[in-house]
Amino acid sequence: MRVRTWLTPYVFVSPFFLVFAAFGVYPLIFALQLSFTRWRGAGEATFVGLGNYSYLLSSPDFWASLGNSAVMWVLIVPIQVVAGLGAAVLLANAKLRLRGFFRVAFIAPFVTPLVAMAQVWIVVFDTDYGLVNYLLNLVGLPDVGWLTSTTWSKPTLALLVLWKTTGFAIIILLAGLQAVPGQVYEAASLDGASRWRQFWSLTVPLVRRSIAFLVVVQTLAVFQMFAEPFVVTQGGPYGSTETAGLYLFDHISASDLGTGAANSFLLVLLVFGLSLGAVRLLRPKDGTS
Amino acid sequence: MKPGIGQYTILGVLAIGFLYPIWWAISSSFKPPNDIVTDPLTLSGPTLHNYQAMFADVPIGTGFANTALVLVVKGAMTMVFCPLAGYAFAKFTFPGKNVLFGVVLLTLMLPTLVLIIPLLLEMSALGWVNTYQALILPGSIDAFSIFWMRQTIAAIPTELIDAGRVDGASELGIFVRVVLPVIRPGLAALAVLTTMNVYNDFVWPVVAVNDTEHQTLQVVLSTLAQNITGNRIGSDFTTVWGELLAAGSVAMVPLLVIFVLLQRHFINGILAGSVKG
Repeated sequence: MRVRTWLTPYVFVSPFFLVFAAFGVYPLIFALQLSFTRWRGAGEATFVGLGNYSYLLSSPDFWASLGNSAVMWVLIVPIQVVAGLGAAVLLANAKLRLRGFFRVAFIAPFVTPLVAMAQVWIVVFDTDYGLVNYLLNLVGLPDVGWLTSTTWSKPTLALLVLWKTTGFAIIILLAGLQAVPGQVYEAASLDGASRWRQFWSLTVPLVRRSIAFLVVVQTLAVFQMFAEPFVVTQGGPYGSTETAGLYLFDHISASDLGTGAANSFLLVLLVFGLSLGAVRLLRPKDGTS
Repeated sequence: MKPGIGQYTILGVLAIGFLYPIWWAISSSFKPPNDIVTDPLTLSGPTLHNYQAMFADVPIGTGFANTALVLVVKGAMTMVFCPLAGYAFAKFTFPGKNVLFGVVLLTLMLPTLVLIIPLLLEMSALGWVNTYQALILPGSIDAFSIFWMRQTIAAIPTELIDAGRVDGASELGIFVRVVLPVIRPGLAALAVLTTMNVYNDFVWPVVAVNDTEHQTLQVVLSTLAQNITGNRIGSDFTTVWGELLAAGSVAMVPLLVIFVLLQRHFINGILAGSVKG
């Protein structure tokens, strides 16, 4: 007996939309409403119009949290794209031995639990007893306050993110590279193009889409970053690692839910704009895709 | 072109950089607590002291059990409903398809943090704070997995599916007997990604649950880190470091084992799924 009606595809996609309606649409509408009120989680909510938004937009702490996230972005995304592309180009070489080993080694950090590794970071980068300063002392260098100085706290956190996610970036870029047919390179070699030229004029344009995907995914991740600073630095020292995600969470901890909701929407707008910008900047110029 | 010594050196250094922290954490967890602090470089022991102390200190068993439960239910929902929706979006034409898929893509952009506050209030209105359904249901069928499955299934030749139709199979029959076997590498990748996402999920379990009975593994782990900051000056902070590394290792090993077992499928699945944009 064949059951095929016009309903079939709707039934197939319905579970997602049911869950989304209950735990996505409803909270979204509620949050929007909440963002126009002053409410501490109990009692009456007072309507304050755009008060929460104007409070945040004139609050130095809010801008500082965005600034911290922006610095984290600069420390993470460009380095990851460049290093990831370099490693992916090396790995794409069919004549490379131990290819499987390198692929597994690079992506292994990606499958480690974040909180566990964040804790390892605390121990390894401890100023007084950590492994890194121990090694520095061995070669006669002084201690560095990796997690206790405002200069180093962001790079040390960024290193955790880079260590953990660059393997994933490499695999994504490798996928893009493997979509490039080998004949393209052969033709270019015959034309006498140098390897460096081949890289810039052939490889980079062809993996543009993978790079765009990566930049969008990482931009979303960096501006929502929460667990890393929450576990490793609690936003310190002196607020230097108080990221946008952590600042938002602080409103929840303080039961200042209206401001928190407004903060969420400002963050959504920002992330949305940044992602769109990244997609537009990295779109191939010939109009495909 | 054959790779030269330079290329091998770069890749080798990178590989060591990526693997060493994992090795250091696991090997140090078997050292006596004092040695971790005084001599972080050389191996000593081995001792199970850190593990005994850690198991006595935090309910890591409960954490594991809770994570496993969430993983099984959420994983099953993802593995059934996401390929099904991906199939509909890839191989059916129906009114409203583009709008519905647009909604899926839009939710992809939505930061989890936006929903945290209202979702938490929704949970308390439902009386779901400190329950398993609160940990499981929100985000149980996620947009990324549907997007991923649509990409993967779109690559299947339509003739293969039509052949199934001619044979008189039902739509569900075609899905189970034709579509699922073909996308097996993609499903393996989806399984690994879902496992990692659920295993690593942190923000939501932290706010949705505040009793030890329902804490997931990551939340249990994070309570240990809070001990460390509390005990930074106290005499026993070396003990906490040992426990921290023991707990980290215990949490790390299951994922690494799953990954090593499935790595070929996982990497191939990602390679296959992301090529077609």
